[in-house]
Amino acid sequence: MNTELVFVLIAVALLVSFAYLGTRRAKDSPDLGQALAAIHALDIEAFRNLMDPEEEAFLRARLPVQEFRTLRRERVHAALAYVNELSRASLQFARFGDAARRSSDPSVAASGRQIANDAISLRMLALNARVRLSLAGVFPGLDTSSVRPLIDRYNQAASLLQGLNGRSHDLRETA
Amino acid sequence: MEHWHKFVSRYLWIAPHVFLAAVPAVMYIRRLHKTFPLFFFYTLYEICQFLLLFGIYLFAPTHAILYQYVFVLTLAGSAALRFGVMQEVFNNVFHDYPRLESFNADAMRWLTGLLLMVAILLGIYSSGSAPDHLLAGVALLDRSVAIIQAGMLVFLFFSARMFGLSSGSFAFGIALGFGLLATTDLAVWALRLRGSNLPLVRFLNLLLTGGFHVSVLVWLGYLLAVEKPATDASYAVPELEQWSGELEGSR
Repeated sequence: MNTELVFVLIAVALLVSFAYLGTRRAKDSPDLGQALAAIHALDIEAFRNLMDPEEEAFLRARLPVQEFRTLRRERVHAALAYVNELSRASLQFARFGDAARRSSDPSVAASGRQIANDAISLRMLALNARVRLSLAGVFPGLDTSSVRPLIDRYNQAASLLQGLNGRSHDLRETA
Repeated sequence: MEHWHKFVSRYLWIAPHVFLAAVPAVMYIRRLHKTFPLFFFYTLYEICQFLLLFGIYLFAPTHAILYQYVFVLTLAGSAALRFGVMQEVFNNVFHDYPRLESFNADAMRWLTGLLLMVAILLGIYSSGSAPDHLLAGVALLDRSVAIIQAGMLVFLFFSARMFGLSSGSFAFGIALGFGLLATTDLAVWALRLRGSNLPLVRFLNLLLTGGFHVSVLVWLGYLLAVEKPATDASYAVPELEQWSGELEGSR
């Protein structure tokens, strides 16, 4: 295949992607159904237990090495499923925050900005956690304690939304 | 056939600039020239470039060399300006998100370096066989610029999607227009380097001006489809209490 053809094929692929991005603007709006489903699916307490270093130390001390490795792999895979849900939920938070950020009411816009920033931090942590947990699934000896800030950040974002609960009327007024 | 080609090529040369003239006008009315000063300047620059080249074509049709040099010089200016506009779009999209902004600034530095290297390497290993040295130089420059700009725009759209940022704003409209422009440039200048017969050159010229026409329409479309700041958020808001309740339940 000659170079020109490669360039043309790349250009066509990019063109199709840009056209696709341009035509699906409506779908970029926050989807509340998806957000609710994502939040519904989260059992943050169970995730916290899976990531608990004390519980892990306890299991390590009690179980034979091979058995502990197998169990750790299973726990890591379960944690990964939670992280994926958390990542999806954070994306919905971010979309909602981004939409609110463009409100003409400055206070609503400020709240939206805060929600979106928290959600973005949450998503960054979730993406980082996904990589670490995927590696830990292959190498069970790897330390995964750096995944724990994800839970704190989730709680922070959830509190922020609850704080906004009382202001939902103001937000509605911006319509 | 000759008549048809002449009509289409004239249309695609003139019409995009007529539409483009509306872009800075609408931007000025909507005060968007303060938010996107470089893009505002870019549109004016493109219009001036067109007037200059069209003027030479009309009043000095025998000065082909003059036309060629003015074309190359203004094209270089346009390519440089596009980079500035892209930086402006990045700043606009991410300025409210400090963490994402710093992450993207680092990523962009690496990406630009990488794309620059790719463009240089491709320039060395696939310089093609264009008959004219000046044309070959322009084709190489434009293809390299198109590679870098398309890569930057893919990164912009990818990271916006990844972090749930809406692509309905004018900033994304600008990016989308440049994306279409960069992909057309990439294909056209790659084929131009191959050397060419007259029908192919004519077709590529139509493709290039056609691509610019579509980009201008995208800019104008995004500009006229006014951003609706509150409505996007508002339809989700009546459900906010329910959402918060769900969040509480999930903790």
